[in-house]
Amino acid sequence: MAQSGKGRLNYRCPSCFLRDLDVDMFFDKEKREYYCLRCQYTGTEADVLRKNKMIRFRYRDMLKRYAEDSFEKFED
Amino acid sequence: MDRMILNLIHRPEMVPEYAEKVTGHGLAEDIARTSLLTESLDIFKTQQRIAHESGLKTTIQMTYASLFSDEAVGLAKEHREKYGDEISLTFLGLPCREFRDKYNTKEFCIWMFSMEDKKAIVRDVFEKFYSRFGFYPESTGSYYMDADLIKHIKTAYPSVKCAVATCWEEGPKAYHTCNNSWYTFLDGGPWAPWIPSKANTHVPAENEEEDSGIVAVPHLSRDLIACYDGNGSNFGTHPQNVLRGMIYKGGKYPYLFNLIDQFRYQARFNNGFSYNMMYVGPGWMNKMGRWEASYKLLYKSYADGCAYYGKLKKQGKLVDMTMSEFADYFRRKKTYTEPECALWRDILYGSQKQVFWYCDPFMRTCVNMDQGGALIDLRPYAAKLVRPVGIGTKHVQDASYPYLIQEKYRAGYFTHYAGEGTVRSARLVYKGEVIDLCLCRTKAHFNRKGKQRVLTLDPVNIEFSDLTLKLQTTITFEEGIGRIRFDRRILEMSRSGEEVNIDEYTVASYGTNEYPEDMTGLVLEMGKGGEKVEIAYEYKCREKMLECADYTACVLPPIATRVSMTCEGREKRGYFKEGYAFSPMFTLGFTGKLRDKEVFTTWLNLERAD
Repeated sequence: MAQSGKGRLNYRCPSCFLRDLDVDMFFDKEKREYYCLRCQYTGTEADVLRKNKMIRFRYRDMLKRYAEDSFEKFED
Repeated sequence: MDRMILNLIHRPEMVPEYAEKVTGHGLAEDIARTSLLTESLDIFKTQQRIAHESGLKTTIQMTYASLFSDEAVGLAKEHREKYGDEISLTFLGLPCREFRDKYNTKEFCIWMFSMEDKKAIVRDVFEKFYSRFGFYPESTGSYYMDADLIKHIKTAYPSVKCAVATCWEEGPKAYHTCNNSWYTFLDGGPWAPWIPSKANTHVPAENEEEDSGIVAVPHLSRDLIACYDGNGSNFGTHPQNVLRGMIYKGGKYPYLFNLIDQFRYQARFNNGFSYNMMYVGPGWMNKMGRWEASYKLLYKSYADGCAYYGKLKKQGKLVDMTMSEFADYFRRKKTYTEPECALWRDILYGSQKQVFWYCDPFMRTCVNMDQGGALIDLRPYAAKLVRPVGIGTKHVQDASYPYLIQEKYRAGYFTHYAGEGTVRSARLVYKGEVIDLCLCRTKAHFNRKGKQRVLTLDPVNIEFSDLTLKLQTTITFEEGIGRIRFDRRILEMSRSGEEVNIDEYTVASYGTNEYPEDMTGLVLEMGKGGEKVEIAYEYKCREKMLECADYTACVLPPIATRVSMTCEGREKRGYFKEGYAFSPMFTLGFTGKLRDKEVFTTWLNLERAD
């Protein structure tokens, strides 16, 4: 089995990212999968991209645009 | 709304952080690689172009490596002439063949070198700068600039009047996010520009005598809720950091603009002053992309960020200044003891949480309205702690200013199983029922009365099984004293003849990270007239109480701090609690009685121990 390398981008491990850890993954070209050195995650590029977006569940106001004078206005 | 001040800073970093690790993977390290140097300079050119196209001037912080590049030096001169950019000098970007040949180290953080090396490097980079430009810079910086370093620079090169001097709350949280490989322990400092004291960079100078001689600016303007809880690198005025946090969708990132606007909003609490700093290193605009973000998106986010600042400028809502221009402006605008205040809301998670940050030469603290106005962070600047950092000192890497209260590292109201966490709050007690204000979510309103900054919290309802009451908290910060006043007033009671007990408490400890320090040597004391009760901390879980005490206090020699509480209230009793090994804290407090319409007042006081 040959050594692994970086993939197209230096993708982060989705499982670690969800616990506020930015860990670059490496790409196993024989298995065509990314894997994490720190935890047990393995996955395809599509899986990585999909799961790294999971963190957005925290950001309920991610797409909200606040008006300039609204920072002390709270909804009931 | 007053006009926000913007410092937009770029650096031609010939070997960008990340680039060698990322783009050079699988190759033997070569920081003189032509392709790396060329790409780095191209990124700098791109950033400069974007800024100028947005109508903004920049501060060009030349790195040591870039001073060896004729092209980088030529560009800086040209842009100074053409756009009014300032040519400055940074201690970031030290790595290059010339530096490594001379110092035989891969170290690149100026504050971590020995003092001897710091002096040599300062001389090298300043003199190299002079040889290329014919003058010495007026501004400088790094991720952190320790007090001894600033003192040396100011003595050797008095032209310097401004420096990037800390990254707000970049400490253990950033370390953890980077898989415990990013050694910037810089917690506990100001989030907005300040004049550092000679004793400790984090601590604002109280007067001219303490003035280090420079105006400091933080590296980036960071979200005052998100950065305190999470990875600071995701939540600042750094578009690519926002991408790093995945805080975007479909090429849209309104959070970045909300963040900028909320900083503009702070002018209301700071005598018309508000400030932003954007400083993106070239490594973040790597042509290969960065983590999940393509180069196209990295580029777009930077262009959009600059365009927004440019739009605000055109609308008369923003003024772009170079760092040295800003230093002059800031010294005209601020007095030494004038605090920096921030009434800040959550703009990302949808929680509607609100906090208030306060910083002056005596303290930095945070009030959490989601916990009834509890203090969740407290740094005793009053101690003006001398704490050298770098090789040869006791704190090689740890430049954080120690806390007394830090709810994330040392728990706040909630703890597992046993013990207490650090927090300053109050409990109401009635017929055996106890209700802590930490569980009463509310909001606050700011106003200024002369030298006082007053937070008036919306009243909260306290519901015992057979008595309800409405309680209002007012928190007053007194400029130039190092004292916080808490007033608890009962506005209404379901049965007006009833009486409740109140327990105003401060659970504290000390440290700079999550782990406990040795509490031995701390002294707990209480006094009334000539009477004094005192114990040395021995983890014995002892508690003492004194009727009608004048004060209850703890002296912490390791951080040269004395913290005390004083009180005015009916049937007041002072107390302290020692703590034990599983709960290495101490508690100071006052109990008393409250009826309808009555007020119970306590003060939290910070002093230098000696």
